[in-house]
Amino acid sequence: MSSNATVTRLCASSVDHTQRAPVHLMPCEIQSNGSAQVSQFFTATTKDHKSEKTVSFRGRGLKGQELSCPQGYTGLVLKEVHKPSSDQEDRTVRVSSVFDKLTYWNLETPPNSDDTVVMAMDWPELAEGVRVLAFILLH
Amino acid sequence: MDLKPFEENNSVSCRLTSQIPDVCKTEDCCLGIDEAGRGPVLGPMVYGICFCPVSKKEDLKDLKVADSKTLTEAERENLFEKLDEAISYIGWALHILSPNTISTSMLQRTKYNLNALSHDTAISLVQYALDSGVQLKEVYVDTVGPAEKYEDKLSQRFPGIQVTVRPKADSLFPVVSAASICAKVARDRVVKGWNFPEDLGEVDVNYGSGYPNDPKTKAWLLKYLDPVFGYPQFVRFSWSTAQSLLDTKAVAVHWDDDEEDGEKAAQRQNNRSMLSYFTASAGSSDHNPSHQTHRFFSERRLKSLDTL
Repeated sequence: MSSNATVTRLCASSVDHTQRAPVHLMPCEIQSNGSAQVSQFFTATTKDHKSEKTVSFRGRGLKGQELSCPQGYTGLVLKEVHKPSSDQEDRTVRVSSVFDKLTYWNLETPPNSDDTVVMAMDWPELAEGVRVLAFILLH
Repeated sequence: MDLKPFEENNSVSCRLTSQIPDVCKTEDCCLGIDEAGRGPVLGPMVYGICFCPVSKKEDLKDLKVADSKTLTEAERENLFEKLDEAISYIGWALHILSPNTISTSMLQRTKYNLNALSHDTAISLVQYALDSGVQLKEVYVDTVGPAEKYEDKLSQRFPGIQVTVRPKADSLFPVVSAASICAKVARDRVVKGWNFPEDLGEVDVNYGSGYPNDPKTKAWLLKYLDPVFGYPQFVRFSWSTAQSLLDTKAVAVHWDDDEEDGEKAAQRQNNRSMLSYFTASAGSSDHNPSHQTHRFFSERRLKSLDTL
């Protein structure tokens, strides 16, 4: 468990000039951290039929679609520059790329509005509503 | 044989057909079914049918068709040309099962095994001939599995047609030999001219026979292994040769339908928190075991985040 004494610093100042990168949310866990030949293997074999996309990964059929970040939000891909050697040390993460849409993939199931990540995007708007409601109740 | 429709998208399966000879629509016909490329770890599996009027069986024999495996590649190409030229009474159709179709079917959540896939493909080709107006009376099928059960299945599916399923039918019935030649020629051409949709630059085509025990095939599989993506779609991921190479040389990938012990899976689930970045505020009562997350959040896999 990381202790509460540690501070994690996010350098967000560079967000505006960070390059946009395509982001894929996969329906599996890939036990690897690092770069991968996404465009050579994955993007090159992705097929579009209307709004639905198909591809395969490790021999398994995936179906997916593009999903925009909630209005007013920007997606950040964060990278820890160097891992602290002790849990007393502060941590620093920097923005390695930003995204305003992502492609999420289901294993074999066609994408639909009940997909977890689609529903998750409801929260920012609802949170805003809750905040406004709380504000009204306080006054 | 124009392979373009398949080559344009070799991720999916494709049916290629000759014209239907007029005589096949008026006279009783026989039809042979055979497959090529069942065993290889590389490339498609091709199902072929060939049909002609029963009265023309002898003419077919005169073309000296034989089991495609006993012929050289040049002989097969030559015989295919002859079959294709005999368009006045011989028709053929092919179903190319792309390696990607084979992989994704066999590795599907609800497994669709190669036998079922083969049977369904054979049935769809016979149905195609019937739908095209071919007056089918006899169907001959080559099989590697139990012949009787398959014969019953096909007889039931196509009442009124005399179905004969035999091991080595490709050397017993000329119409099956003809089908095996069509299938094998297509498979060889597709493998030879495989158009890699992946962006791999110049690909070494020295992949040997494609059979798992061929050292050239093995060397190729090692050379083109990508630690994350595994292989190009040319490879059948569902083959044990490919699987075991990936298990040892590529990074591990876990799916939610993996068969593994629950504890390990559950442990990993806890690590998955990409969506938690959308959570309301850090430092909530997540650590309090009595605190129950509202269904709204659990359904969306939203979690409070207070540490990275």
